[in-house]
Amino acid sequence: METQLVLEKWPGVVSTVVIGAKKEAGGSRGNTVTIGGQNSLPLLFKEGAIPHKPIIAFEIWDIAPQDWPDELISAYGKAINDPLAWAEKCVNEFKAELLCVKMQGTHPDFGNKSPEKAAKFISLLLSKVRVPLIIIGSGDDAKDNLILPACSEAARGERCLIGCAVQDNYKTLVASVLADGHSIIAESPIDINIAKQLNILISDMGLSLERIVINPTIGALGYGLEYAYSIMERARLAALSGDKTLASPFICFIGQEAWKSKEARVSVEQGIIWEALTATSLIQSGTDLLIMRHPQAAQKVNNYIENLFKDKE
Amino acid sequence: MQKFKVTFLPDHLTITAEKDSSILTAAISAGIYLNSNCAGDGTCGGCKVIVNQGQVKSQPNGIITAQEKKNNLYLACLTAIQSDLEILIPDSSRMDKDIQTDNLGGDATIEPGDTLGKNFGLCFDIGTTTISGQLVNLNSKKILGTKTAYNRQAAFGSDVITRIVYAAKTGGLEKLHNALSGTMNQIIRELVSEHKVDLNAVNCIVCSGNTTMMHLLLSLDPAHIRRQPYVPPANFPSVLRAAEAGIQISPQGLLSCVPGVSGYLGGDAIAGVLSSGIYQKEETCILIDIGTNGEIVLGNRDFLVACAGSAGPAFEGSGVTSGMRASSGAIQKVSINKNDFSVKYSTIQDKIPRGICGSGYIDLLSEMLTSGIIDKSGKIKVTGKRIRSSDNGREFVVCFKEEIRAQADIVINEADIENLKRSKGAIYSACAILVKHLALEFSAISKIFIAGGFGTYLDIEKAIRIGLLPDLERSKFIFIGNSSLAGSREILLSSQAQAMAEALALKITYFELSMDSDYMEEYSQALFFPHTDLTKFPTVKF
Repeated sequence: METQLVLEKWPGVVSTVVIGAKKEAGGSRGNTVTIGGQNSLPLLFKEGAIPHKPIIAFEIWDIAPQDWPDELISAYGKAINDPLAWAEKCVNEFKAELLCVKMQGTHPDFGNKSPEKAAKFISLLLSKVRVPLIIIGSGDDAKDNLILPACSEAARGERCLIGCAVQDNYKTLVASVLADGHSIIAESPIDINIAKQLNILISDMGLSLERIVINPTIGALGYGLEYAYSIMERARLAALSGDKTLASPFICFIGQEAWKSKEARVSVEQGIIWEALTATSLIQSGTDLLIMRHPQAAQKVNNYIENLFKDKE
Repeated sequence: MQKFKVTFLPDHLTITAEKDSSILTAAISAGIYLNSNCAGDGTCGGCKVIVNQGQVKSQPNGIITAQEKKNNLYLACLTAIQSDLEILIPDSSRMDKDIQTDNLGGDATIEPGDTLGKNFGLCFDIGTTTISGQLVNLNSKKILGTKTAYNRQAAFGSDVITRIVYAAKTGGLEKLHNALSGTMNQIIRELVSEHKVDLNAVNCIVCSGNTTMMHLLLSLDPAHIRRQPYVPPANFPSVLRAAEAGIQISPQGLLSCVPGVSGYLGGDAIAGVLSSGIYQKEETCILIDIGTNGEIVLGNRDFLVACAGSAGPAFEGSGVTSGMRASSGAIQKVSINKNDFSVKYSTIQDKIPRGICGSGYIDLLSEMLTSGIIDKSGKIKVTGKRIRSSDNGREFVVCFKEEIRAQADIVINEADIENLKRSKGAIYSACAILVKHLALEFSAISKIFIAGGFGTYLDIEKAIRIGLLPDLERSKFIFIGNSSLAGSREILLSSQAQAMAEALALKITYFELSMDSDYMEEYSQALFFPHTDLTKFPTVKF
């Protein structure tokens, strides 16, 4: 006799977030990206709706990256020294649907670019590529509070995803995102309670929960991946059980973590596998947006996603 | 009975003493403490005094040499007063007032005259942060007065663990004991002098406190309280002479400690159970003692389960910038105008504000949340003339120094709020975990007794709004003040209460939170105003 698997039905739904705005929505993007909307644990297609696939965003910087290993830099060739060319290469050559631009050059230790220059860069980038944008600050709270509002304003109407808001520094960013019609990334340090608290704080300021994406903070394979995995799993279980304050899609900075590891720097192949394994593992715990660095790793993960979702949509 | 005037030099203190009473008791009555390691048995030779003028009758002893006798030296404990006297106290016989280690008292001396009408006792609540003492007339059972002071041990750390660690250092236990007995002796001196009671007529003292405090009072090594399996050397300390614990009452006076349950659940919790009466209730009740070592007891007449959630001293006004005890001049009620953030407050005894006490902090936090000054994580999110930056994050000025004619403004900063948030989180999560482990819901609790050194006022509504207390029907809450002090008073006045306390100490089941894997999770969820899980506080809206 065939064993019947018990199917679970959940009362909660992960909120749906759209990144990018086409002309009719007041923006200038050629495509938009939709994430979230699940009513089931990851990949359990029979239990509930999984309307959108995980999406890979290519990570680029506004300056030539200083601490990226050669194995990674060589994948982009000369283009990596010109952020705009780098962006175009990702879109044209590697078929990126989405770009994640980190404003590292605004960091006081990495060029200290002014808010005006940062805003100008975002305007230029928006005119060069037509994919939706994720904009990330340099991580220096004080500086991010100056440059992110400027970038937000420069991208007004384009429905970008901007981050990262943290518990001790979220008000300035929330106010800008609210004014310019974007969505926000709420970052918590592998801590489900802080993730939830930050979502409440942000929504208390008037930004609806449907415009928040959670960055749960992750570790790469061998560097705490399972901690991140279980925190994401717990948050998703809470969301599906009906907790709206945790029902946001996840964004995971895969490339940044994977290429930190010693193992990834052993050889190009090893690095690609390390990044791809980290990504595919976190797809199991429900990540919606994967920020990746190596085009071949992205390609492998993309193939994997396509196979997973074949005939399932 | 004949009375004589006895003058002590160099203090120039004169008191009246009865014929045949000892010079030692007369000195104690005058508030002068002599070395008396043998507690008045005439064997240590510590209390030598010089009789300048007058007649005395001395018992023979082997301490005073012939040469000393020529110089009019006598042992104060064995020398009876026969006329008006002038007595010189050499420095070497005087006990250091602040560092009070030695024993006092007399053994088997017969008090002259009829002292039956003079029978007083003391009860004490010995908290990690705050110590309260009460003077009771044992004949009329009337409370004469209550005094509260900060525990001087605070200089050695703010929580029991750091105190236990300190006790293990060379001389540490002695220093901690001295600080504690010093605080208690000061309270006793103030009480007896204010109510004109002769210290010789104070015959007994009952103390309730957490287990560590009891050990430090009795100079017992508390090291094992913090080591697995957390078994303290003494849960049922026997009655002893107060002088042996360095406590200055009548030389024959006795000291008794309310028995405890375990290393982190002491006599103060038992005294609380006793005075709140939850052990007699048919329906399930919870007793929440909001103190540094916050104890929670859940149960009814059939069962009692308890735990201790280390909350820190913030709600006792310690470790927070403008904090103070619930005493004269402490801000205890606050309201804030939503539009201009102006503050209205009232203080204990309507004095000019000197600081903020626990109930004031509860009001203040609730008002800051309601008026939108802080967000749910406790960060100040607005600007205005009362808001500025400080070394400890941004701060909100409750009273400007000009309006209260003080040296400094009364403020609350983000570090204070963080501190208070941790305290309230510890109390709430300890309650939640206890309820959860008994497979109960908060709604199954019919009465919530709130105890703590909050003075006379505690706004239950606001305590719920900040997430300190569970969101239940307000009529279920009963504020009972210092339940530990009340319980130790019951024991002071009734041997039945004493027997009940012993029975309760054996009956209560102790639940160790530090071994519980769910506690940390509950605690982190509670670090938000009112709580990360808003469904637990359905009536709270900001």
